[in-house]
Amino acid sequence: MESLVYIALFAPFVGSLFAGLFFARSPKNIIVGIVNPALIGLSLLASIILAFYVAEHGAVHVTMMDWISAGSLHIPFGFIVDKVSVTMMIVVTTVSTVVHVYSNGYMDHDKSFNRFFSYLSAFVFSMMILVMSDNFAGLFIGWEGVGVCSWLLIGFWYHKKDVTPDINPAISPSYAANEAFIMNRIADLGMLVGIFLIYWNVGSLQYDVVFKALPHLTDGILVAIAIGLFIGAMGKSAQFPLHTWLTDAMEGPTPVSALIHAATMVTAGVFLVIRANPLFGMEAVQGVSYFIAALGTFVAFYAASMALVNRDLKRIIAYSTLSQLGYMFAAAGLGAYWIALFHLAAHAFFKALLFLGAGNVMHAMDDELDLFKMGGLKKAMRGTYIYMGVASLALAGLPPLAGYFSKDAIIETAFNEGTLVLWGMLVFTAGLTAFYSFRQVFLTFEGEERYKLFGFHPHEMYKYVLIAMSPLAILAVVAGWFQGSFHEFIITLLPEYEMSHHTHHLAGKLGLIVLAFAITGIVIAYFKYARRGEKAFKQDEKVENGFIYKLLINQYYVPDFYVEFIVKPYKAISEKFWAIDKAVVDGTVDMIAKVIYTTGDKTRTIQNGNLSSYLNWMGAGTLLLILAAAVVAVMS
Amino acid sequence: MEHILSILIFFPLLAGILGFVVDKEVAKAYGISVAAVEFLLSLWLWASFDTNYAGMQFNEFAPIISQFGISYNLGVDGISLFIVLMSTLITLLGIILLDEDKIANMKNMIISLLFLEMTMVGVFLSLDAIIFYLFWELSLVPMLYIIGAWGGPTRVYAAVKFFLYTFAGSLVMLVGLLAIAYLYHLEAGVWTFNLLDWYQLDLSVGLQFWLFLALFAGFAIKVPMFPFHTWLPHAHGQAPTIGSVILAAVLLKMGTYGFVRFSLPLFPDASVEMIPFIVVLSIIMVIYTAMVAFAQKDMKQVIAYSSVSHMGIIMIGVFAMNAEGLGGSIFLMLSHGIVSGALFMLVGVIYERTGTKTMSEFGGLASIMPVYATVFGIMLMASVGLPLTIGFVGEFLVLLGFYEVSPIATILAGTTIIIGSVYMLSLFKKSFFGPVTNEKNRGLKDLNVRELTALLPLVAIVVWLGVYPKPVLGPIDKSVKQLLVNMEYKARTQKAKDTIISMQLAKEEK
Amino acid sequence: MIGVSHYLILSGLLFSIGFMGVLRRKNLLMLFFATEVMLNAVNIAFAAVGNYYGDLSGQMFAFFIIAVAASEVAVGLGLLILLYKKYGSLDLDVISSMKG
Repeated sequence: MESLVYIALFAPFVGSLFAGLFFARSPKNIIVGIVNPALIGLSLLASIILAFYVAEHGAVHVTMMDWISAGSLHIPFGFIVDKVSVTMMIVVTTVSTVVHVYSNGYMDHDKSFNRFFSYLSAFVFSMMILVMSDNFAGLFIGWEGVGVCSWLLIGFWYHKKDVTPDINPAISPSYAANEAFIMNRIADLGMLVGIFLIYWNVGSLQYDVVFKALPHLTDGILVAIAIGLFIGAMGKSAQFPLHTWLTDAMEGPTPVSALIHAATMVTAGVFLVIRANPLFGMEAVQGVSYFIAALGTFVAFYAASMALVNRDLKRIIAYSTLSQLGYMFAAAGLGAYWIALFHLAAHAFFKALLFLGAGNVMHAMDDELDLFKMGGLKKAMRGTYIYMGVASLALAGLPPLAGYFSKDAIIETAFNEGTLVLWGMLVFTAGLTAFYSFRQVFLTFEGEERYKLFGFHPHEMYKYVLIAMSPLAILAVVAGWFQGSFHEFIITLLPEYEMSHHTHHLAGKLGLIVLAFAITGIVIAYFKYARRGEKAFKQDEKVENGFIYKLLINQYYVPDFYVEFIVKPYKAISEKFWAIDKAVVDGTVDMIAKVIYTTGDKTRTIQNGNLSSYLNWMGAGTLLLILAAAVVAVMS
Repeated sequence: MEHILSILIFFPLLAGILGFVVDKEVAKAYGISVAAVEFLLSLWLWASFDTNYAGMQFNEFAPIISQFGISYNLGVDGISLFIVLMSTLITLLGIILLDEDKIANMKNMIISLLFLEMTMVGVFLSLDAIIFYLFWELSLVPMLYIIGAWGGPTRVYAAVKFFLYTFAGSLVMLVGLLAIAYLYHLEAGVWTFNLLDWYQLDLSVGLQFWLFLALFAGFAIKVPMFPFHTWLPHAHGQAPTIGSVILAAVLLKMGTYGFVRFSLPLFPDASVEMIPFIVVLSIIMVIYTAMVAFAQKDMKQVIAYSSVSHMGIIMIGVFAMNAEGLGGSIFLMLSHGIVSGALFMLVGVIYERTGTKTMSEFGGLASIMPVYATVFGIMLMASVGLPLTIGFVGEFLVLLGFYEVSPIATILAGTTIIIGSVYMLSLFKKSFFGPVTNEKNRGLKDLNVRELTALLPLVAIVVWLGVYPKPVLGPIDKSVKQLLVNMEYKARTQKAKDTIISMQLAKEEK
Repeated sequence: MIGVSHYLILSGLLFSIGFMGVLRRKNLLMLFFATEVMLNAVNIAFAAVGNYYGDLSGQMFAFFIIAVAASEVAVGLGLLILLYKKYGSLDLDVISSMKG
């Protein structure tokens, strides 16, 4: 089994090197387009075999070699494949395989085709390290690795130039890439502090050792560790207030958005909380866990509200990702780790599908993203319409699709915990989710064919790409049906979460409430956006000048706040510091030198070669010496 | 090869003297071959180094002035071994990178570099305070010449500032060294400048304090610590590429090495007492200079200020008083040497092509010079401390180690991972991303064979030591633990004994 | 009654006169005269103090100084003549050669 672990882990790495080293400078090479997806597929295969093995025989633990050992710190490259990590491995490799095949079509005409595959496979490798590592330092390797790959891929079209925020809120791909990297680094500092705390209080970073030692630690330390790790999770999973990078990250190519900024990397934070469930489940850190749940719920609502008014195809999906991540954190914070993991997996499938569908639309519309310039695309793009419809249904949580089961379980959990405010918000957000997803679908595919005004000639994506997307579509439909077996599979590792009798009793009614909200959302969206002719959708000036619309379209002015109160002051202070450095710090040094120099310059006139002035100085000196002698004599 | 250390020191000297009669046309080839032999010698030293022994190895001892106990005394341990290796490697690669068409008077350059190599190796191998001081001061001369002869427009100002500033500090240090010898004479009745003898000297806390400050003057200016850092941007701004590379990679490390070799073991109590003072200065270094780096318009100045910022992290690690932090800071000295050396080489490459280092003149270089951008990107990632590159290991260990001393200070210093990426990424964005704004840059050639030969070994090391740092970290760890045990044993006050953590070693041995 | 202190005051006055001459005069010849005055002031002091203590070595020193001063004047005046031949003047401002 060890060799399978290594195959699962290193196959993407081999692919990255293959594309990066041999084809980096050559034009598009179809070999890369075949070999790389095949290698990821190999990794998927290995993961599936491992899953069956793990289900039967328990976790596989391998230690490859030592990494860092200094003092009493010993960090190995160790990998553990247990039920949690194997679930993540399958999710990651499944979505990656589809995205790799899809990219063949999407990046068809890009001159950096090979480079793209190199980065994409490197990302998968980092993500596999992240989920498979058996210690916090190894997790951090993957954590930073996916960060760098995300940086490379968001800034993939680095040659685009910076524009003002009112043309493109993300300014430019390279700007968005830097923003994402730096914002993640802020969170990483929190994570590092958490790791340091673990090391100095436990003496090891291995998961098993740490989790065993947790009961012996004081409450304060536990809370501090939990906060540190969660700050790390907040950055990667783009939770408020570190969320602004995710929407700007949509500057990357769409397959990247599907893989990294929807299905896998952004769920790393949720994965961390699930992985560290022995910590977050402890009595002492219940406060932190509740905060996680509350923040998750808030983000779920907050992001959904911004998605209501946005006109950008990809940004709406990005907000919905944020919102769904909020759901996952809500579940994890409330102690329902397996439900969070379940939603993570289900969300990965339908969200990736949604993004890939959006990619098809962009491909058809010459990279146009404005929904108001689309409409009625269903004729030209039937396959994509079906895919995006299915994905949106799943996202909206309609039975029997995947989202229905996973999201419903989360909402039920919130009810079960008695946190009715969270429950209410989550239910309401479910309604919003349904509305904005279908607003997007209808604006794109139904209604008047507005694109004709702008001279677009949409065409369907290549057939093989559509076929390649089908596994995701199937999973988006059926994933929910396996809730029971997944529960059985995972529950030996993650703590059981049981609904109380009372909740169980009400489950049917609760589900109906959620469903009612969701259907209402879809119906409103239909009437507003899907109809043609007389009642076709038109922009409403009055609404668009309203306060709430302005607030939402400007993302609650949070990005502006960051620019005004963090970016600009930082620049100003830096400039000031530089001025100080030159004038004061260096100035002092130069002044000392100058004083010495001028003193020499002034006193050199003594040496003027005139005997008379020499004699004068000699006389003065003699007098001074006599005086000094006299003073000393008197003193003593 | 009994006298390997002497050979390491004097081979470049003799070769340098011989260099005067070498024909001008073959000066560079001569330099490369001498530096390569020297590097192979240092590799041989590593190969025959006993990694299980923590103390000094390959000792050489010959009295010079026996009345005063001044002797020719050399030795190497895990701490100095790799710094010597790095010095010889960087010198070799630096010479390879020299462009014969751009450097006037190549022969003099080679001779200066070989003299410089002698002094650098000498500083790290000396175990006698006078010999150490000798090499320390001699290292200024070739550097002064390199900046003054091949530098930019205000090279004389920069060279003189560099020389006088560091010289002023080292004079105070000399007074401190003489005072230690005097105190040793008072106590033991004999004169000696042997560092290993000095380690046995038991000084009162008050004396330790003043002596610490005297040595601090010499070391801190060399590091350079805030607020003594201002000679560095001038020196880097004017120095030719090779000067900057060696200055950043090796000469700065003399300061931190001095702290490790002299200040810590000689004055354990004072060192512990001075932690708050050093840490405040270091944190200012880390944050303040990183922000100044962000404000720069000139690519080389960004790297220069970033050097200061990273040296702040190294200083924090030196005063972490535990094996993780101290070992990490020594590893960080190596990694910073490799990475900043490479970054200065890269800036030199673009300067040679365009004649400018101003970032606004570039933009979109990634489309024109993809290989150059890739190498720069790797070094950038190492500089911001990405795991699996050499930069992470040291930074992680330093911050981890110092967390035990002060969590707040660690968090403040840890902002380096944020603001470090701010200035590095904005440099990268300004120079490499975006459309090609300057038409003149369109025809730029990518890295040629000469440049790749100099840079690829560094890339390989960055990845190798990032993935598998053990061969280097192991010997460092051994010697560092030994050092901490000695410090704890020697410390007089309970506070110092409590702060210095060397207990883990004792646990292991049991 | 004229005591030793009167001689010493005279000596001091003469010394001061000579000293002022050294400081103020610009002509080398006058400087020579001024140093002679100072030397003779010292001679007076030596003789007076030697007499006061009844010690002959004071007067001996005075003679010794007179002899040395005479030879010094001889050499010095020779040098002055050479300087005068070279510069045509004995003014210190004229013959100074360092620019400082």
